[in-house]
Amino acid sequence: MTNSIRQAFGDTLVKLAKTNKNIYVVSCDLKSSLFLTNFAKKFPRRFIECGVAEANAAGIASGLAKTGKTVFLTSFACFSPSINWNTIKQSICYNNANVKIIGSHAGLLSTDLGATHQMLEDLSLMRSLPNMEVFSPIDSIETEKIIKTISFSKKPAYIRLVRPTTPNLFNPKFDFTIGKSHVLKSGKDITIIGHGPILEEAFQVQSSIPKNISLEIINCSSIKPLDTATFLKSVKKTGRLICLEDHQKNSGLGEAVASLILSNNIPCKFIHLAVNNSFGRSAKTYQELYDYYGIGINDLLTAVKKIL
Amino acid sequence: MLPFIKAHPLQKIAQELRKDLLDMVYKNGGHIGGSLSSLDLIIAVYFSNLFYLKKDHFVLSAGHLAPALYVVLANAGYFPKNLLDNYSSFDSILQGHISAEVPGVEYSSGSLGQGLSFACGLALGDRNNVTICLTSDGEHQEGQIWEALLFAKKYKLGNLVNIVDFNQMQIDGPISEIMPLDNLAAKYIQFGWTVTTVDGHNFNQLISALKSTIENRQSNNDFPHCIIAKTTLGKGVSFMENNFKYHDVKNLSDTLYMKAKSEL
Repeated sequence: MTNSIRQAFGDTLVKLAKTNKNIYVVSCDLKSSLFLTNFAKKFPRRFIECGVAEANAAGIASGLAKTGKTVFLTSFACFSPSINWNTIKQSICYNNANVKIIGSHAGLLSTDLGATHQMLEDLSLMRSLPNMEVFSPIDSIETEKIIKTISFSKKPAYIRLVRPTTPNLFNPKFDFTIGKSHVLKSGKDITIIGHGPILEEAFQVQSSIPKNISLEIINCSSIKPLDTATFLKSVKKTGRLICLEDHQKNSGLGEAVASLILSNNIPCKFIHLAVNNSFGRSAKTYQELYDYYGIGINDLLTAVKKIL
Repeated sequence: MLPFIKAHPLQKIAQELRKDLLDMVYKNGGHIGGSLSSLDLIIAVYFSNLFYLKKDHFVLSAGHLAPALYVVLANAGYFPKNLLDNYSSFDSILQGHISAEVPGVEYSSGSLGQGLSFACGLALGDRNNVTICLTSDGEHQEGQIWEALLFAKKYKLGNLVNIVDFNQMQIDGPISEIMPLDNLAAKYIQFGWTVTTVDGHNFNQLISALKSTIENRQSNNDFPHCIIAKTTLGKGVSFMENNFKYHDVKNLSDTLYMKAKSEL
């Protein structure tokens, strides 16, 4: 079963805004793309439209937050956070403003839109900022939980959303906790860690590997802060780690995890599957792109065989 | 015969604070040129009793004018005056660029062009009070300022006033050479703001412009207001006046310090 992560975001915000009168949306002319039409209709006074001006929008969000509001700054990830990175750094992070940045259409999953819209650097930009927390939900179920959780926090946060409908992988019984990862499937031989819908590949390769090899699949939706304990425990057990992400290799999750493992002196084989210093391009299906950039299901299968 | 003009009471305060500012920059270095040009503007906001700054907001967008704001805040009792002595040192809360760590400061800045957007957000979220922003003229070269101007007009931020420290200089030279702003007042009017142009070192003019801002708000005027304050870079020190080399001072020699002090 597949669902829309963006729809989950829009619906959750409407639900929360009914009881929390301080929830505001700052929009950059992408209301319908972020499923916020309903929010704007129901709460017109709390829906602030800035037009195509992401830097100003980040500043507006920060000022509003300082008057006690919980502000969701919404756009495509390729515009916010990127055009407005310095405003996010100074006006939101350095000023520690309660702004939640929603970057939609991230990764190669914005298939036909091409390089300018396939944001592959957002996690690098946001991970590097003090005070900023960074989340990348795996599906619509987790999106709802993340949005709900962070609406109670006062800290700046970035949440990475994707465009297409995606398979439901998160266990609805799990709670989302900031700084916690979930082991979606336990195993003993290889740890596969990733974030976002691409993690589905880890479930798909299972049928193509020998029965006596088991994978431990970890959903790392809390990219900052990282769940150190869960990773280290898993990697100590398996000694093999594959990190999978629809993002640039540079400064993505993989580098964060590699640094963690090195710092803890854990002997471990490591393969990082991510976009390697390249711009995206248009395609009709995401599978074509995942194969081309070396993060497709066959690439994961090759990595699994290689790391054994 | 020239009419006798009585000095405005704030003039005396300004005279004393200029000395504090000079001492502070002599000891620690800092952005003295723009601080001397904007000092009177900040004094007018803090010492005119027009605003209740526990509720009204003051946003310093041009964060390098920190020395001027620190001197005003110290003299207004926000923190002990002796903190000025080691401004921008490792163990001081007074950061080189304005920081919200400091009592009385609402917004940390330093990267230009952002404060007006923040001020718009404050003015929108707190319509019952006035938000005063101080921008430099040079920072109007940043595109974000113009995005904020559009926004303030659209959202009818009649409770917002932007004071522009119009000293016509920037780090590398005159604004007219680096990137001309030409008729800034006309541009603001075109963007849907109301504009008053004043002599930024004349307290009578400054106070009257700020008063009309408050009256505007009381009469539910929807227009955001801009005060273009014509000022002089390095105001009060002859060798610093209109000299862009005094944008930022690292080591002011004893001789120059004594000369400056004697002029203030």
